[in-house]
Amino acid sequence: MEHVSGFSLPNSGHNRDAEASKMGMWLFLFTEILLFGGLFIVYMVYRSLNPEAFLMASFELNVWMGTTNTVVLLVSSMTIAMSITAIQKGNRKLSIQLMVLTLVAAVIFMVVKYFEWSAKIEHGLFPGQAVYDNLPPGESLFFFLYFFMTGLHVFHIIIGSVVIGFAIHRTAKGRTTKEKYTLTENAGLLWHLVDLIWIYLFPLFYLIH
Amino acid sequence: MALGGFNLDLFVSPVLPHSLKHLNIMSNQKDLKTEGKKAPEVHISSYKDHFNTLLALLLLTFITVAISVFGANLRSLSVFTALLIATVKVIVVAYYFMHLKYDKKLYTWLLIIVVILFVSFTVLTSIEYLNR
Amino acid sequence: MTSKAMSLSYLQGKNGIFSWIFSLDHKRIALLYLYSILTFFITGATLGVLMRLELLNPGKDLMEAQTYNQVFTMHGVIMIFLFIIPSIPAIFGNFFLPIMLGTDDVSFPRLNLLSWWIYIIGAIMALSTLLWGDGPADTGWTFYAPYSVKTGTNVTMSVLAAFVLGFATILTGLNFIVTIHRLRTPGMTFLKMPLFAWALYATSWIQLLATPIIGITLLMITAERVFGVGLFDPSIGGDPILYQHLFWIYSHPAVYIMALPAFGIISEILPTFANRTIFGYKAIAFSSLAIAFVGYFVWGHHMFTAGMSGTARIIFSVMTFLVAIPTSVKVFNWVATLYKGSINVQPPLLYALAFIFQFMIGGLTGVVLGALAADIHLHDTHFVVGHFHYVMFGGTGFALFGALHYWYPKMWGRMYNKLVANIAFVFLFIGFNMLYFPMLVLGLMGMPRRYYDYLPEFHVPNMISTYGSWILATGLLLMFGNLIAGAWRKREPIGRNYWKTGITLEWQTLSPPPVSNFDRMPVLPKNGPYDYDNKPEIEE
Repeated sequence: MEHVSGFSLPNSGHNRDAEASKMGMWLFLFTEILLFGGLFIVYMVYRSLNPEAFLMASFELNVWMGTTNTVVLLVSSMTIAMSITAIQKGNRKLSIQLMVLTLVAAVIFMVVKYFEWSAKIEHGLFPGQAVYDNLPPGESLFFFLYFFMTGLHVFHIIIGSVVIGFAIHRTAKGRTTKEKYTLTENAGLLWHLVDLIWIYLFPLFYLIH
Repeated sequence: MALGGFNLDLFVSPVLPHSLKHLNIMSNQKDLKTEGKKAPEVHISSYKDHFNTLLALLLLTFITVAISVFGANLRSLSVFTALLIATVKVIVVAYYFMHLKYDKKLYTWLLIIVVILFVSFTVLTSIEYLNR
Repeated sequence: MTSKAMSLSYLQGKNGIFSWIFSLDHKRIALLYLYSILTFFITGATLGVLMRLELLNPGKDLMEAQTYNQVFTMHGVIMIFLFIIPSIPAIFGNFFLPIMLGTDDVSFPRLNLLSWWIYIIGAIMALSTLLWGDGPADTGWTFYAPYSVKTGTNVTMSVLAAFVLGFATILTGLNFIVTIHRLRTPGMTFLKMPLFAWALYATSWIQLLATPIIGITLLMITAERVFGVGLFDPSIGGDPILYQHLFWIYSHPAVYIMALPAFGIISEILPTFANRTIFGYKAIAFSSLAIAFVGYFVWGHHMFTAGMSGTARIIFSVMTFLVAIPTSVKVFNWVATLYKGSINVQPPLLYALAFIFQFMIGGLTGVVLGALAADIHLHDTHFVVGHFHYVMFGGTGFALFGALHYWYPKMWGRMYNKLVANIAFVFLFIGFNMLYFPMLVLGLMGMPRRYYDYLPEFHVPNMISTYGSWILATGLLLMFGNLIAGAWRKREPIGRNYWKTGITLEWQTLSPPPVSNFDRMPVLPKNGPYDYDNKPEIEE
């Protein structure tokens, strides 16, 4: 950076460094992997301790809703990846459209999730409700983990959407360009991570048959 | 865990400028690329590649659902195959969508180390529980 | 001379409160951390002295059993989460990592400031538990389920505070890793980095990869308290031991978050005062990574008596012994560094030597505890308390004090009174060993930890220990008083390289450093950071 005496260091923390931002994003994703990792360990232990209960409880979940959401997330992963391609090629308009499509997918995902959760809550399966409190050992754990893990996942969908919203805003303002698209790229990475988590959540909760 | 995570260094700026004028920091954001260093060639994935990746992922999803719903008699296999297919999907997403294939190899290696770490946690924990 | 006259130090310029608490300068953020962390250290130390006072005699002296439970929990929470985990990385890492790498700031200055703010918010949350409801948690800092789920004290808030503090740790670690990868000065390869930077690199990886696990675990405790799901309750298929697994998957690596930066400090102090190159640079650098890596797989040794399976106990015990190897590699290298050096005995070196001595005791008692059979006897006794205080206070704490004395002239461009510093050191060293060595003895005699009372046969060592705590407290007051008084002492010429034999890059810049850290291009020694044979000439 510039200095009063006219001397400047070659490697400054105040330079714009896209590679550093990307590395930071990756490191952040690692923390996310381990955050969910802790939950997967809990899931693994309790499933191995209560295999039958987990099987019985999983019949309550709707495979088709789960599959729909999987497909929706995979498609959204493609659109956000394409929007990076678009901005790299200098096509700002297309990049924005693809990001908006990603947000639409996020909304569809959450609407499906809403119907899924409300069905469970109607059956009294949310922690603290009457049916939940009388579930046999193990099944209540399944539902707790179901709500906790998918809940945390939806929370990440919301955060990811907000970030994509920022990316859209910046692109629309012209601050994200063909040369400088770090935010779009990082939003994409975050979004893909949300997808990766779901790829594991889906078989572990919906496909125990 | 997600706050402050994107673009990693963005949010606080509106609060700050008055305290910084004398430091002359913010006005200096230079682009590294413009500073003599030649920008590394960036690989741009084509739309078609992305679409093909999606097709592969959808196919894998279809397989895993099919095994689970119609292959109930393969139950002992189902957890294993489901996780295997999920892992293949994850690798595909990371490799193509997340651009690991074209990025610095450093990221791939770090990711592998993180995965090894997590797998070691699960293995150690399961050793504990399986031998109770 | 002209450039010197024109260089504004980071302490000059704007000095209003907002120019500090919103500063993006890593040096100012480091000082923010320094002052807040030391405040919490003094708070925690006061609680510790109170506990020792209660244990002076058998029976109730000072406080009720319940109060004692809350005091030791608060002492643990403050000392672990507010003091020792952030301590060296957040203070000296922030201040010196960029300077040692020859750059002007960390990679994400704004994130750096954010992490301090998150730290302060977490600290306020943790301390707020004192003020309302049934008072602070009484579970011990480990928040073991199922008691932590059932007690009426403010566990939820303490747990959330620890969760928030985790963010601050993660952000600092993330920042350092990227800084080390991206901002090393041209010519400084990874193997030409100072060892303090290596230690911080290993530490940062632990901060980054272990902290999320405790984050999610603490969230589960919160969910359990809010919704009453019984996640760790055996009657509905849960398992309390699983909580311990998750807790220690983080908290054992966290021990290395505390210890590794201290190793880095020692590796900086010793070459300077032995005036020779460090012995076994690569061995020290890589052993940090080895400790960080192996340290992930030893968490089970905290749970030998908890009801784990026998196989797992043996595996964890073996892994625990393995960690001793890279650690002792370091100790041998430090001792070998002193061999045939021209040793200049100054306060920082005294702290470094005390570190080696005390850390050895802490480490070796750790090996004792890692042995399965011995641990059955020693688990949850004062032996454990003595052991980890030797590692954390005798180790990391003394390294922190050493670093304060070592970099004091560089950070403030002033100097403390060396005679008083030496006297304070003697008090600290004697007080520390008098306080904690009897605990090892008490543990072997069978005195359990976490009780406010004990049998009469344990009286004498407890008395010695409490007297020790008074000497230690005197030493602390003397040391801090001396360091603070340095601000009013008559200025003596500090120069760039106060100790004359410092060789890492921070000794090439002004004291205190200018805002952008360097007023001219730093010069790297030819063969690595401790190349005393080709020392670059530093003109004032």
